[in-house]
Amino acid sequence: MTTRGGAAEVRLGPSGPYPSAPLTHPLDRRWLHYAFRSPDGALSVIANLSVLGASPGSGSRPQEMSILLVHDEAGWASSQFNAAVTGVPWSAFRLPDPGPRLRVGTPRGAPSVDLDLTRTGRACTSQCAPFAVDEHLRWQSEPGVRARGTLTGAGGRHAGSSLVGYHERVRGHWAWPHLGGWVFGFVNATGADAGSPAAPPPFAVVFTLIQPPHPADAPTGSVMVWRHGRLLRHFPRRTLHVGVSGRLPRDLVDTAPPLAATLGTAPTAHVPGRLRITAASGDDDLTIDVTSVTACRIVNPNELGMHGFSVHEVLGPGRVVGRVGGEDVEVEAPAVVEFAGGADVD
Amino acid sequence: MSTDGGPGPVTGAHVLAATVAALAARAPAIVAAAAAELGEVVLGLHFGDGTSSQLTAARGHLVVAEGAPRSPDVEAWFDARAMNLVFDLANRPVDEVMPHSLDVRGGREQVLAVWRTLRLLGQRASGLRAVQEVWRGYREAHPGLWGSVAAQAPEPPSPDGLRPPRGTSWTALDYLDARRPHLLPGGITDGTVADHPRVLWDGRTSRGWWEEGRVWDADLLTVMLRCRDRVAEEMDRLIPDRSPKTSLYDLMRAYPARQGKGLRPTLTVAACAAFGGRPEDAVRVAAALELFHNGFLVHDDVADESTHRRGRPTLHERHGVGLAVNAGDGLNLLAIDGVLSNLETLGLARTLGLIHEVLHMCRETVEGQAIELEWIRRGFIPRPDAAYYRMSTKKTGWYTCISPCRLGAVAAGECAPARLDALNEAFRWIGIAFQIQDDALNLLGEEELYGKEPLGDLLEGKRTVMLIHLMREAAPADRAWLEPLLGLTRAERTQEAAERILDAMHRYGSIEYALDVADRLAHRGIRRFETDLAFLPENEGKGVLRQIAHYVTTREL
Repeated sequence: MTTRGGAAEVRLGPSGPYPSAPLTHPLDRRWLHYAFRSPDGALSVIANLSVLGASPGSGSRPQEMSILLVHDEAGWASSQFNAAVTGVPWSAFRLPDPGPRLRVGTPRGAPSVDLDLTRTGRACTSQCAPFAVDEHLRWQSEPGVRARGTLTGAGGRHAGSSLVGYHERVRGHWAWPHLGGWVFGFVNATGADAGSPAAPPPFAVVFTLIQPPHPADAPTGSVMVWRHGRLLRHFPRRTLHVGVSGRLPRDLVDTAPPLAATLGTAPTAHVPGRLRITAASGDDDLTIDVTSVTACRIVNPNELGMHGFSVHEVLGPGRVVGRVGGEDVEVEAPAVVEFAGGADVD
Repeated sequence: MSTDGGPGPVTGAHVLAATVAALAARAPAIVAAAAAELGEVVLGLHFGDGTSSQLTAARGHLVVAEGAPRSPDVEAWFDARAMNLVFDLANRPVDEVMPHSLDVRGGREQVLAVWRTLRLLGQRASGLRAVQEVWRGYREAHPGLWGSVAAQAPEPPSPDGLRPPRGTSWTALDYLDARRPHLLPGGITDGTVADHPRVLWDGRTSRGWWEEGRVWDADLLTVMLRCRDRVAEEMDRLIPDRSPKTSLYDLMRAYPARQGKGLRPTLTVAACAAFGGRPEDAVRVAAALELFHNGFLVHDDVADESTHRRGRPTLHERHGVGLAVNAGDGLNLLAIDGVLSNLETLGLARTLGLIHEVLHMCRETVEGQAIELEWIRRGFIPRPDAAYYRMSTKKTGWYTCISPCRLGAVAAGECAPARLDALNEAFRWIGIAFQIQDDALNLLGEEELYGKEPLGDLLEGKRTVMLIHLMREAAPADRAWLEPLLGLTRAERTQEAAERILDAMHRYGSIEYALDVADRLAHRGIRRFETDLAFLPENEGKGVLRQIAHYVTTREL
């Protein structure tokens, strides 16, 4: 039995994950993540609605932080960490069903989104990355989520937009420097073979590599392939090779929230220009290739040091080829990749 | 085929000469580091194709002389296979010398110095695209040399490298290796440095994507051209297209159109990148700085009664003093407008910081100009070099070196005085060294390199380290005719008088002395750069700043 935040609890492995357990420590975290791209890649939406635990004994409520990014022909538009969420946002992981809407925005109007979301498949089973001492991150992913509605970015209002994307829930307890960083991303097939707008993408791929700073063999990683909305294949971490090359010019990297640019935010490493992942297991193999075209760096406050934890939301064309379950996979579609890391302990 | 695109065979000696020439122009820091390793050693090199070269170091340069070496301390013979060690970039690094393919003879310490030099050249130069092109020419001319290594490398599964790795055991790294150099959509390269692909996870060992390798070097020539052209575009945008054209706005475009090397724009943009900012954020203030600079030049030329600037007649020579002074005032006004226009892109805090920096720069510059003009008016020549250092720092050091860096850092959002001040000492010494070299160039008569009329500085009576040294060292008999000459106004001073002073400088070794001083100050600046700016992470921006610091030691004189 251990005590955290003054509340006694029975420990049976990492605590959590998703039940409505209270967030009782400043390092307790929970979020819902949304990322969508239009089939032609012209419009992109990324939203993260997170909650941080309250300080023990402070009597304060957990801290809500929401950020919204919209990318259109005029570039990135970003809210601060106080994007307003109207109503109960849709989530595949919420019961009872809160309805399809996701309404997030800023008082000045841009960026903002008012989207109706529809799931077309099923989420993967829960995955957990343990690291450091008694810290972990647990997540559940669902690609193939379709979005329809209005979004407003730097280039103006885009009504009647259709996008397809990804949704996840995360719950855990960690300090950013202990987590290290991650490479995460997804590609939903959106080409001519993508079927009707309400159908699941014929193929969807989600990849994750969470890299604690030490030991060197501690990462948690997976590549998952969905076929018509159902999880078809899970490549475990030992079967993966992940490599990067080149650099995205810094001029193509925006900083969010806008406030971060005025606070003397420390520089971070270059965003890789190209990501390549190969996965091979038995008769199945897969190659993922994503080229970075533009990125927005979200600078998250770091509880243990001055160097924030940077999540680079990278947009670019994605290509996936391989053979899974006896079937050839060939996907060419807009992708989202996250290169996250860079927090230090002072 | 030749390495410089001209006719003739590609030989080992040619490749070495072309590599050193490319590095001297593009990455002086590598040349300086290699020269420091080589020291006094004279190295003779014999290549497998029958050619030979001699490599020596002198004042931060590497000097390559093609042909049989004379009295070398160390001699190295490469056969064709050993050339793999130096020129192989297409394949995996070859870690070991093949038996009987390399022979090095000489004293133990000298051989080790040579080994360090070649290793440094091979490793650091190989990261530059321009050098890769030189070496690629050699590889293509001698494909047989690479056969044994190339045969071991697996063929790409398909031309675009995207087919699955079935049957090839290719991993992510193999694909990325086959796709270098990395190109962004639209054919944009991702920089001038070709770094190697990195494995983040191979199923056993992890390395964070953020743990990038140290970037020591950058291609200075390409970066300077890019920065200069981008800032010139912005300057053009800042000068309005309105009347009166022929008497004002055309005149204001005249000096900016006479493009220089692009040193200041590069310092500003690179400092912004080094402090973590977006290079584009520094472009507008770099353009404003250029407008200030051009405004100063117009007024400076009037005050100094100069006849030529950047190889062409000065503005007042062509259009009269009145219009020239007015155009100079206009350039300063537009420069202020340019700084203020950062409000839209950088916000209030950073723009206020930029204004503060610009005001300080202008104050230092006019104070420096006042000191020198007063010296000339009174016919005064200081005895210690330190007086020149102080005047030079104020007159040109701030606006050519120190302020461009500080402005770039402020554009990146840096506002801590201690971190901004860390730029001062390094770039102060580098700026003085640069100014001394510029002054020497004017006396060496290379108008193309300097842009002013030959001996223009002597005609103006400009106080330089050479002149200070001459007046300090000259015998009383020489001082007796020098002092009245230096007391004359520019109109009274003749070309013959200037040539007589130059002759005296040659006799007393004043130019050689000044170049030695410049070399010493440049090294002092480089040392301060490494110590004072150690807090900056290694990135390409810092790599460019480092190359500029070394540029002073290897520029063509």
